[in-house]
Amino acid sequence: MSVVKKKKHVSKKNKKAWRKHCDIRDVEDFLEEQRLDERLGKFDTKPDSELFVVDTQGDDDDKAKDIKSETSEKVVKPTSAKERKRQQLSKTPKCYEILIPASKVPDPNAKRNHVNPVGSRPTALSKITEKKREEKGKFEKKVEVARKNRKIALDKKRKAKSIRNNFDLDLWGQDLPEAKGIPETLCDDFIPPGALLHNVLPQQRLRPKPPPPKTIVTRSAVDTPHPGISYNPSFKEHQELLQEVVQHEQKMMKREAHLLRVTTGMFSKVTPEQKENQWREEMSVGLPQPHNPANDPSDNETDNEYKAVNPPVKNKKKDHKARRKQKEQLEEKERLKRKKIEKKKISDLYRLRQLQSTISKTETRQAEDRTKRVTKRKIEEATALPALNAHKTPKKEPEYVDPEQLSGDLRTIKSTTNLLRDRFESLQRRGALAASKLMMKKKRKLKSYFKAGHKVTEKDIERYVTRSAGKK
Amino acid sequence: MVSKKKKKYSSGEGAQFMTRKAALKKLQLTLKDFRRICILKGIYPREPRNRKRAQKGAGGIKTLYHTKDIKFLLHEPILWKLRELKTYQQKIRKARAMREYRQMRRYLRDYPDINIDHIVKERYPTFVDALRDLDDCLTLCFLFSTFPSLKRVPRDQSMLCRRLTVEFMHAVIAAKALRKVFVSVKGYYYQVEIEGQTITWIVPHHFSFQPQSKDEVDFKIMSTFVEFYTMMLGFVNFKLYHSLNLVYPPKLTAAFSADSDKDLVDEQQYVSERIAAMNIPVVRITGANEVEELPEIDIFNTEDEDPQKLEEAKEEAEKVKKLKTMFKGLKFYINREVPREPLVFIIRCFGGEVSWDKDHFVGATFDESDESIAYQIVDRPSMEKQYLSRYYIQPQWVFDSVNARTLLPINKYLMGAVLPPHLSPFTDKIRDQVYKPPEERELLDPNLKPLNDDEGSDTDVEEASDEDAEEKEEDSDGDPDEALAKQYQQEVEDESSTEDEDDIDPEKKKIAKEKKKAMAVTTGVPHKEHPYQKEIEDKQAFRLREKLVRKKHRNLYKSMKAGQEKRKKEIWLLRKKRRLLDEKAKEEKKAEKRKQRNQALEAASA
Repeated sequence: MSVVKKKKHVSKKNKKAWRKHCDIRDVEDFLEEQRLDERLGKFDTKPDSELFVVDTQGDDDDKAKDIKSETSEKVVKPTSAKERKRQQLSKTPKCYEILIPASKVPDPNAKRNHVNPVGSRPTALSKITEKKREEKGKFEKKVEVARKNRKIALDKKRKAKSIRNNFDLDLWGQDLPEAKGIPETLCDDFIPPGALLHNVLPQQRLRPKPPPPKTIVTRSAVDTPHPGISYNPSFKEHQELLQEVVQHEQKMMKREAHLLRVTTGMFSKVTPEQKENQWREEMSVGLPQPHNPANDPSDNETDNEYKAVNPPVKNKKKDHKARRKQKEQLEEKERLKRKKIEKKKISDLYRLRQLQSTISKTETRQAEDRTKRVTKRKIEEATALPALNAHKTPKKEPEYVDPEQLSGDLRTIKSTTNLLRDRFESLQRRGALAASKLMMKKKRKLKSYFKAGHKVTEKDIERYVTRSAGKK
Repeated sequence: MVSKKKKKYSSGEGAQFMTRKAALKKLQLTLKDFRRICILKGIYPREPRNRKRAQKGAGGIKTLYHTKDIKFLLHEPILWKLRELKTYQQKIRKARAMREYRQMRRYLRDYPDINIDHIVKERYPTFVDALRDLDDCLTLCFLFSTFPSLKRVPRDQSMLCRRLTVEFMHAVIAAKALRKVFVSVKGYYYQVEIEGQTITWIVPHHFSFQPQSKDEVDFKIMSTFVEFYTMMLGFVNFKLYHSLNLVYPPKLTAAFSADSDKDLVDEQQYVSERIAAMNIPVVRITGANEVEELPEIDIFNTEDEDPQKLEEAKEEAEKVKKLKTMFKGLKFYINREVPREPLVFIIRCFGGEVSWDKDHFVGATFDESDESIAYQIVDRPSMEKQYLSRYYIQPQWVFDSVNARTLLPINKYLMGAVLPPHLSPFTDKIRDQVYKPPEERELLDPNLKPLNDDEGSDTDVEEASDEDAEEKEEDSDGDPDEALAKQYQQEVEDESSTEDEDDIDPEKKKIAKEKKKAMAVTTGVPHKEHPYQKEIEDKQAFRLREKLVRKKHRNLYKSMKAGQEKRKKEIWLLRKKRRLLDEKAKEEKKAEKRKQRNQALEAASA
């Protein structure tokens, strides 16, 4: 009778416990075998010819052959050491043999990057030999192809340059496929547009460009000129222009005055003496002062009784009468208020029409104000300078034409405006450029000094003068 | 499961924008290159709605770009070119440092160009788009054409600008596209109309080059703008020349070819070459005729089209047509002291022929002694030798004539005369609704009757009649159908009255009459159109259309109308005042005269 072994319950909580109580030898054996197979090749897949040899000779022959081969080897053996060395040259050196992969396991990284071996780059020597061979005419074809390629590249370059000079290209004539990012090789008559679009390279596929900012689209590049800046303006228009300039200037002055008042004007000026006095006063706080009889506290007011600086608070209770009075007062107040409200209700009935009119009036006024505000905001939005940078965009200033400059003829026109700056600021005002201040590079301050022996002092000059005078 | 917490600013406005620094990092460009590519591709910094959010909580004001814009830039093939250029420049620098000058020169010779024609096409998909954006381009190109070679501006740029601007002016001359000129202290404002697009630009006065101070303008940026604009202007010129059947590039004088830029060091000489170039007609393509004149305006009968507006448009077209051939067949001679460039351009634009002193400047086509010269343009108070066969006028006459669109009477512009003011043609419409004294009106519109005493009253009468008309129209329900019906009834009555003479059997007659009526054929009455009635109808229709104004725009429309009325009233009031004043002055004058006469009589009798 076989005794059924009672199953033993053991914990296989962690790895160690699992290892202890589990028999995994079969798995390990299997894996071992597999590895061996990978290394040496599988027995089942190998052909029989590789595994077995058909023995055609007897044991005797074998022995004889052994002896024979030994002798024959000796015969074949190269005599000279030179030859032996040469034979060994083709073999891999022993020291490198270990680097050759012997494993049959395939490379897990199927697409390993190819690294050029050391000798593949042309060296100075190989370059020379190559050149020699080229001169001999060994690579005729190669040279020809290279020449051709060079010519194509040059032609391409020249064409691009000529376009830049002659603009010999009808840009808007037909739909140029190149502009859409379609490769040049595909731009042919026989390729349908669908195929073209299909073949647009993903890196060149056009992304829709977001629309430009509103300020650029809506604001005109060249503002309409004020009629007063004519070289021979009518009196009225010129006066209008001057008025504008004056207003602008006044605004600026006002602003400047405001800034002055708010900043510098806030602080009073102090003379050095006053400052000194102040300083002295501040510094001597808490120090024992010299006795001053005028400052002595007079004794006549005090009656020797102790008085605290802050006497304690007394909880003085109100009596019944006071409380009643207070209550009554409150009630009376409330009653009067109620009465007034009731009265107002009745009187309001008679004032209905007036109320209505006031309400409608305020409503209309509010509506007007609203429209005014909206229009004002719209105008401001339309002309607001874009804030694209920490620097502020320069505001447009009215052009000032000095009445004395106006001569009325074309010969003697004088202009004070800088058109380039005008353009630059216009671009900034339209939001095409962020406002900027050109940062000037600071010139390095060089210290200048005399070389020790080359210093010329006044003494030297004097000495020189006296000497030259003495010579005379 | 708790979903992964969303990172702040990974969506919404925070993700929409990108600081310039981030953009540089993303595009792997230097600031210099980034600025350049932004200008070329037309990518501009943006102003966010909520800056705090757009800057991902950072304070201050940073330059922000749309993330989409930057992603769009990422696909630009020029980006690679710019990166290549950077290494190329490094090579040059290295060669210079190693003192391999031969190598360096070779690098400089083969310096790669960046082709940006595809960008022009991308930014302006149609020709009209390009024309619309030509204002800035022309102003900058004309400005740069006056510059000598500067430090931060490529050497050939101002040369290219010169060539392209002259070419463009030639195209304008050939197309006769110039519409308005204004001579300001800043420079000459020109306005042309090409393919229905008005283009305005400024040409600076020709002074010698004024040195530009460094801290005002970033030359590098401006020159990048000019780089793009020259490309654009070149292609626009090409297209313009081809649409005008002209050969492009035109053969201008030798001064404009790129290889001879060293020969013209003298600024004066360059200017005269430029003007001479403008005086030569451009070669037409063989076998091509003049561009056909545009046909008259087609009238599309749309319901909402205002007949008044249509009439205005027609008038405008007629005026423009006249303007185009204003100077045709006239010969102008420009004296030596007059700035020639604007005058040659303008006169040639309207078909005139120009010449100047042969000894001083190149390119003169005829001599001063030519008797067929119609006008000599002079800017000096007097001349010793004068020809009787021509008028001696001041240059302002040409500008004012162009703006008035007719040849103005020359009496105010003769040599030595005090010129009338040169008014701006760039005035907005609202300025028309301002009171102008009769003198000014005469100045603006030469067709207006010369200043008369009864002129004021005339207009008044007109206005009064207008008012009357308005009143009348309310009374009568002007209906042409009703009038027709009335007429018909009358005729029928007339007929019946003639028949009544027979006076036989009223019963039968009645039946017969009815029968007759049923099959009667009356003679047709031509429908007369009452001009007055039509006006009333138009007004009614206008009022109906006014009612169709959307509620959204109604208030705006109302306020606009009210403003118009107000301004009209003001004008009327001022005119009336003026009229009364004039009348009073006239009366006084008369009284004075009478008094004088009386005094004289008395003196004679005494």
